[in-house]
Amino acid sequence: MTAFFPPFFVAASLVAALVLQDFLPPVALLEGARTQLVPIVFCYGALAFPFAGMLGLAVAAGFLSDLSMLHLVDGRVEIPLGWSILFYVLSGAVLQGFQPLFLRGRWEIHSFGSGICTVLLLLSQYVMISFRRESLHLDAAVGWHILGPGMLAVLFAPFFYLFMRLVTPPRPVPRPRRFTP
Amino acid sequence: MSKLNMILLGVAVLIGLVLVSLPVETVRSWQTDFLNIFSPVVETTSTVGRQITAVNQGLKTLDELERENRELSSQNKQLRAINQTLRDLEAENNRLRAAVGYRERSVFDLVPARVLTRDASTWWHSVKINRGFEDGVDGDMPVLTDVGLVGKVTTAARSMSIVLLVTDETCRVAAKVEGSREQGIVSGQRVAANAPPELVLNFLSRNADLKPGTKVYTAGVSGAVFPAGIFIGTVKEFRVRDLDGQAVLQPAVDFSTLEDVFVVRGSR
Repeated sequence: MTAFFPPFFVAASLVAALVLQDFLPPVALLEGARTQLVPIVFCYGALAFPFAGMLGLAVAAGFLSDLSMLHLVDGRVEIPLGWSILFYVLSGAVLQGFQPLFLRGRWEIHSFGSGICTVLLLLSQYVMISFRRESLHLDAAVGWHILGPGMLAVLFAPFFYLFMRLVTPPRPVPRPRRFTP
Repeated sequence: MSKLNMILLGVAVLIGLVLVSLPVETVRSWQTDFLNIFSPVVETTSTVGRQITAVNQGLKTLDELERENRELSSQNKQLRAINQTLRDLEAENNRLRAAVGYRERSVFDLVPARVLTRDASTWWHSVKINRGFEDGVDGDMPVLTDVGLVGKVTTAARSMSIVLLVTDETCRVAAKVEGSREQGIVSGQRVAANAPPELVLNFLSRNADLKPGTKVYTAGVSGAVFPAGIFIGTVKEFRVRDLDGQAVLQPAVDFSTLEDVFVVRGSR
């Protein structure tokens, strides 16, 4: 069983993900979909940390990714700073429900969690900018730009899981004592 | 859920809501600070990436290097000669304009810059460049290459700036069509289905009937960000809509290989 994941590595990975994702080229096979690394790191922390740690990570991940992607044009912000914090807090709270399974070594929870989290984040962003720009376009390209990064997150997440297992080897968790009346 | 966790959840949501309601100016200054802090990391990563690419691509033989050097020297001499001729023509043009009472035509004051990264965001098209307010770069300054228009600066930090590309839907440019009186607004597309991205020129007259290959330039209307005469792209297709005509443009600049750009700081 795994239980101990030092927060330092997750925090460092969050900053590295924030910088590195800007250097990854769009994937032509997925209609130019971009790889989002921050949701992968966040989902790992949300599954591995206790509730308070997850909230701290949600605030940090949301704040930093909003600042790095802030779109300021003509004195207007399309997606306000802080929006991603609310999104990560909500999705982190849901992911916490799967923590017992994840701590038993079910790595696929992280993989699919990252994919779903990425898709929902992009979908919510698209709905918001459509409201701001007062027009909604829905076609195959929009679908690919939302689903593509989700698929990429599902593919990349196991590598991050493996990396975290290498840098923070699992420690045995003492078995809970049986209740004896 | 314990009482403590409920309180922490409330605090996290409150932080999010407070940030959402912050005024734009505060958000802008925070973004500038963020860029100031991260610029050394981004610049170093970009340099390492470039060096790795250069090692992969740059292993040439001495013969190849010598040939390339000869070609570049010859091209350099040719360009110097053309440049000198153009300077003479510019001076003559300005003398003639002054003689007939026209305002003197000025040339741009350009700041060379290097593209550090492309924004990982799915919905916005922007790049970060290695010049900031230290170099005289400021918000709303046009950015171009030797080929044509790239976009405009939206946020300038100390040594890094964010450039909104002309392929973004929110970057709107007043444009005029070569060889006609047609004018319109060029903008990018929200989601480009095909690469390279295309631009659209809206609000043309329905009978404009633009032919493929026609060139489109910035119109330089008064108070606009972009000066007149910068090449934006060429017409690929013309469509007649209910109320106006729309042209699809092939951008002049290849945004997938964009590396070196110039920020227009003003005119000399």
